[in-house]
Amino acid sequence: MRPQLHIQSGARTDLGRVRKNNEDCLSIDPALQLFVLSDGMGGEAHGEVASNLAVQTVLTHCRQAENSRTTPIFGEPSPDISERTNRLASAIHLANRKVFETASANPEQQGMGATVVAAWVEGQRLSVAHVGDSRAYLLRSGSLEQLTADHSLVAEKVRVGILTPQEADASEMQSVLTRAVGTTPAVEVDTDEQALLVDDCVLLCSDGLTRMVTDPEIASTLLTSTSAQEAADHLVDLANEYGGVDNISVIVLRVMEKSDSVFKRLKIWERYSG
Amino acid sequence: MSRLLLKFESATLKEVPLGTRPVTIGRAPDNDIQIDNLAVSNYHARVYVEAGSLVVEDLNSLNGSFLNEIRVERAMLKDGDTILIGKHHIIVDQEHDAAPSLDAIRKAPAPRVNETMVLDTEERRKMLEQAAAAGERSQLSPERVRVPTLLVLRGRTDQKEYRIAGKLTVIGNSKMATVRLRGWFTPEVAAQINKHEDGYYLGRGDHVPRINGVAIHGLAKLNDGDVIDVGRVRLNFLYRE
Repeated sequence: MRPQLHIQSGARTDLGRVRKNNEDCLSIDPALQLFVLSDGMGGEAHGEVASNLAVQTVLTHCRQAENSRTTPIFGEPSPDISERTNRLASAIHLANRKVFETASANPEQQGMGATVVAAWVEGQRLSVAHVGDSRAYLLRSGSLEQLTADHSLVAEKVRVGILTPQEADASEMQSVLTRAVGTTPAVEVDTDEQALLVDDCVLLCSDGLTRMVTDPEIASTLLTSTSAQEAADHLVDLANEYGGVDNISVIVLRVMEKSDSVFKRLKIWERYSG
Repeated sequence: MSRLLLKFESATLKEVPLGTRPVTIGRAPDNDIQIDNLAVSNYHARVYVEAGSLVVEDLNSLNGSFLNEIRVERAMLKDGDTILIGKHHIIVDQEHDAAPSLDAIRKAPAPRVNETMVLDTEERRKMLEQAAAAGERSQLSPERVRVPTLLVLRGRTDQKEYRIAGKLTVIGNSKMATVRLRGWFTPEVAAQINKHEDGYYLGRGDHVPRINGVAIHGLAKLNDGDVIDVGRVRLNFLYRE
């Protein structure tokens, strides 16, 4: 039996209440079920350049790979993950190279970079890849799990036990990243895979959301919204209500059963026959 | 760094750093500052930064919050202020503030400290060395290679034993399943095992799996020897050397 999953998506990016530029960028390809979000950095308008270039590169590379099996792989593929997830990581490796080369060629853009978090759904498999402190979350059966580990100084210190989570939240070093796309010639990309279930909810977001809104508030917003777009809107509104000190970007995916799926009909049949 | 000090008589019970999120004070255990005293309401008061100023706000508590001995509903705080809640004092301590203090936040609408930056290679190396040193203390050193294995104890599967290698191990009828279950009405994904940094975690699929007889609704870490039930299939999780 094959449950046909339908991915409903919603997205929003917002300036917030303090910043003058929106350096975040996001894009979704519903046909490919590919979702990319990036938070740029680098002063003036260069953060925007970096995040746009990163998002476009990831989309283009994945689209190319869909159409041509000979599309080269960037970075070292891992045997631990599927071809799809390796392709997503490859796209971020390429984005790193493009942003780095662009910055190197333009002295005034030196030092620009970006975070990237990307999700790609194929059948029931969710592939996630990321660099930086933009996050992916999975909400399943009412509990919220962070799928990505932030590449930030404070998060890495928490992981090895030098800082407590409370000290990390209060730290003035929160904006210091340990990895970013485009600041070094090569970058390490982290990946994750999940088997999606009906009623799962996936969230991709920039730190403009997670610094303002707590995990329980994120979970309850996702649970009480009636559509992915409504959830995205509510999350951004909440972050702004709490101060909106940074740009806020969110992509929300809701995993639904295809209404005409044979699986659903069988399930109904099973219920009456069981 | 600004902080709040919780004091009872002359003893300092707790120090709580002030960050971007409100610090909550009350009798309930999920408060940042918990005061286990019947005179204190479950969610009694909170302290937070608003427009660059530190503010205390009473959350309609029964016995009130007192700032320097005056009952307040909401008030601005400054260094050295004392908030009295029940019999406990909370002292505002801002003297440890480095350069980017609340003043800095007040003056600059987009403060420098909020600008994202990447650690340069040298600093990152130092940080990672420091982290590795701390990590070594807390980690058991696994010298032997241990291969996580699922042994089939009962049920219809395509193999009798599976080695787990990847990030995602699906148990079900799906073509991406590692542990391929047979039979009618077998879900594509009956359950799944996810590899995390510290081990393997069992999570649900269309079935709620059991570990050693206990139903798993969230994620549960697998330990050597655990017995897993998924539908009619029973598996034994082992670390093979």
